[in-house]
Amino acid sequence: MHDLIVEGLEKQFDGNMIIRDLSFTVEHGEFFTLLGPSGCGKSTTLACLAGLERPSRGRIELAGRVFSDQKRDVFLPAEERNLGMVFQSYALWPQMTVEQNIAFPLKLRKVDGGQRARTVADVMEKVGLERLGKRYPHQLSGGQQQRVALARALAYSPDLLLLDEPLSNLDAKLRDQARVWLKRLQSDLGITTIYVTHDQEEALSLSDRIAVMLQGDMVQVDEPRAIYKTPATAEIAGFIGRSNFLPGVIERGGVAGSDVAIAVEATGETIVGIAAEDLPSGTPATLAVRPEGAQIVATQVTRDEVNEVLEVEIIGESYLGNRVEYQARYGDVVLQIDGTETAPAAEVRLLVPRTALRVYRA
Amino acid sequence: MPSSTSGTASGTEPPNGTRYVNTNLRDSGAGTELRGPVPSAPAPGLVPPRHRRFLGFDRNQSIWWGAFIVLALFVAAPIVPTLVQSVRTKALYDSTGEFSLGAFARLFTEAQFGEVILNTLTFAVLTTVMTLLIAVPIAVVVTRTNLPGKRLFETTMQWPYYVSSLIIGLGWMMIYGPAGFITELVRGIVGGQPWDLYTIPGMALIEAVSVAPIAYMFCRNALLQSDASLEAAAKTSGAPPLRILFSIVIPMMRPAIVYSAVLVFTVAVETLSIPLIIGIPAGITFFSTFLYKNGLQSLNPDYGLLGAASVIILLVAVVLVVTQTRLLRNAQRFVTVRGKATRPKPLDLGKLRWVAFVYVAAYVVIGAGIPLLGIFLRSFTFILTPLRNPLESLTLSNYTRIFEIPAYSGSIVNSLVVASVGAVLVTILVFVVALVAKRSSFRFRRGLDYLALAPQAMPGLIVGIGLFWAIAVLPFGLGGLIHGTLFALIIGFGFRALPSAYGAIAPSILQIGEELDKAANLSGADWLRTVRSILLKILLPSIASAFVLTFISMFKEYSPAIFLQSADSKVFGTTMLEMWAQGATGPVAALAAIQIAIISVVALVASKYMKGIQHA
Repeated sequence: MHDLIVEGLEKQFDGNMIIRDLSFTVEHGEFFTLLGPSGCGKSTTLACLAGLERPSRGRIELAGRVFSDQKRDVFLPAEERNLGMVFQSYALWPQMTVEQNIAFPLKLRKVDGGQRARTVADVMEKVGLERLGKRYPHQLSGGQQQRVALARALAYSPDLLLLDEPLSNLDAKLRDQARVWLKRLQSDLGITTIYVTHDQEEALSLSDRIAVMLQGDMVQVDEPRAIYKTPATAEIAGFIGRSNFLPGVIERGGVAGSDVAIAVEATGETIVGIAAEDLPSGTPATLAVRPEGAQIVATQVTRDEVNEVLEVEIIGESYLGNRVEYQARYGDVVLQIDGTETAPAAEVRLLVPRTALRVYRA
Repeated sequence: MPSSTSGTASGTEPPNGTRYVNTNLRDSGAGTELRGPVPSAPAPGLVPPRHRRFLGFDRNQSIWWGAFIVLALFVAAPIVPTLVQSVRTKALYDSTGEFSLGAFARLFTEAQFGEVILNTLTFAVLTTVMTLLIAVPIAVVVTRTNLPGKRLFETTMQWPYYVSSLIIGLGWMMIYGPAGFITELVRGIVGGQPWDLYTIPGMALIEAVSVAPIAYMFCRNALLQSDASLEAAAKTSGAPPLRILFSIVIPMMRPAIVYSAVLVFTVAVETLSIPLIIGIPAGITFFSTFLYKNGLQSLNPDYGLLGAASVIILLVAVVLVVTQTRLLRNAQRFVTVRGKATRPKPLDLGKLRWVAFVYVAAYVVIGAGIPLLGIFLRSFTFILTPLRNPLESLTLSNYTRIFEIPAYSGSIVNSLVVASVGAVLVTILVFVVALVAKRSSFRFRRGLDYLALAPQAMPGLIVGIGLFWAIAVLPFGLGGLIHGTLFALIIGFGFRALPSAYGAIAPSILQIGEELDKAANLSGADWLRTVRSILLKILLPSIASAFVLTFISMFKEYSPAIFLQSADSKVFGTTMLEMWAQGATGPVAALAAIQIAIISVVALVASKYMKGIQHA
């Protein structure tokens, strides 16, 4: 069953379209992530869901309750939506203790003192903050503050949890731990969650589904694996993970998902890959290959039914600890290719499965 | 933790059994902004608070509109009557008057307003030049070099906030005036009259001394905010200290210098104290004294003329204040990096630092120290002259005379009442207005910003004249109730104090992350509840400092009272002027000493108390 339904959502600021005609649904209990670079409109989308911004157009509905419908001039302000939100800065109220922070939303809901104390204790235990109740926010570490913010957002059983880059202020180690912990907490609670981030690792590891946003458009909505393996456009392929692009022209066209042959400009060679969209012959196109999608092999290896082989020259390497990235010259372009520490010979070939070669319209 | 996202789960019991209030679930939106047949399923779990609305108007909007209307009336009260009066032939309350532009013509024919303009501009230009000559070098050497005693100078340069320019003027007269202590001393040595302060340059010098600290503060702030690494870069590329000073530090201050020049010019155009105590006896008329003479000293005042002159002065002031705002915006654009924790090492001036020391010390001692000391000495003596040892003529009679005459002692009480009641009212108004302007979705919030800063462009005397007329035309005999009361003074002084009080609160609101409000909204708090529970407590220290600042400036204020007061509602400044005119120098000195003492105590207590707040 759909929990959150968004239809035709748009927001303009001074004539600039920040988000354009977004429509999506989120299932009950789903972890749904808005992923995109800064300025893509993901935070504006979240603010519209929260009721902090009034959309210019469109409709938002949660579990049958209409939050906003511009056509009918309906707008429910943030304070009446019963949502929980964790801000990037955590936004803990500095003059209140941890307990007071968590209790404030309960006070607003006229929960009586005894019940309030029990709920606060309960939720603090859930996020692992026992014994910190009397502290003030500035006396806590970043990780603890983040937990308080989450506890505050969860204490009153909100109908939807909104997370605005909640992990971005933690240092790298802590962020990895918090990610695992957050995912477990969310699935334990089964609360529908909208998560906003620009960090693809966070998005890929946490989400049930990811909506990729670029320049105000939602360009692809899918499960993490599908987003990574079959990016819908070249832009997404470039934004999520790393990709090498080889421009060229389609020689033998085909519909989306079929094999197509592209003559690449770099060498004039013809390479067969999978069409990401319908590509008739003669269309200018670009071939994408991920650095980890190719394997460095000896010059004897040749192409076969399922693999393409590219002749390259290794011209440099970057040691990155868990892997080594090689710069391979292919015609007049340089490809980034992952490899092992064993240094390859200068003249090598790249073995790439056709399923790892995706062709997009240029 | 109950998961509460299922739309149909109104009967499900959360796992841990905590089921809270579940009555009164949201209906289909009656009485809320939800109009029409909007389907709304009941929300499970806790219900967010609902805020009552009346005809689409909630309590927040009532406050926003209320603040807007009160502020608009407050700001319009002195301005509108002035504008109307300037084009009427008779007094505003006289309905037989007709529309006429004659007053503007009379200004330049009969009233010789052209000469007044020339005097005022000469005075303002001279004041500005002298102020910059004093303030800029002092700001540079105190802030950036190894000046001896810089700590001491940092503190003493703040004194003008505690002393009004009227008192500086009176102090200068007692010491450097024709019969002043130092003048007599020098005359004894050189023979004839050593100097004459009864000239435009002389008056400009006194004005410059009294406003220099304002320009100093702006230049100092610019120096503190500028990027320290620029100096470090100059140093590593081999520039000697003086070179760094002239090639890096001073050019970076240019926006601050230009801004304070315009600010000082504005102050000089509208000032009353020096033109009144020196200009009138010297026969030199300025903007403010023109209004004073035509409004108060004439038996049959020409109200049209008064209105027309006010409008012209107002226009000049508006142009200057708009320029200031533009420049300030520009100056802020120059601030490159903020919040650098490490300050550069002060530049070493070598032997020159003693020259700098003499320059700064000369200003502090000759400009402020001696005149203020003179006021205190004069207040405890029969006469202050180098011909007699002051210790031989000690007396308390100046003070006893003040307390014996009810009109004098009454003015102390009046000032205290006006300043404390006024500061409470202004602080409350400014707090609400600043929150609406900076932190609400009110449609005209930008307008509030402009309204709150508009009084900057109103010289005190014109505020007095304008309110005088406004009170005169109030319906239902309300005018009679207000006229000449302390309440009228509170309105006039409050009007003048509004922009600085606003300036003390508004920036500190901007420093609070907006996410704190948004988090409260998401938690279920509307605007008013967010203000009460979240923002009020965080802002308490700046509310307190706005209160103290407003108290002090209203306590020093007097120019609107010249037109608004009655015999029973005199304040410090007006009483001092009156006694000064009668030649009662001793009691004037005593009154000035009392004013300085009260302000010092308030400032001292406040600074201790504010530290207390900050540590908590």
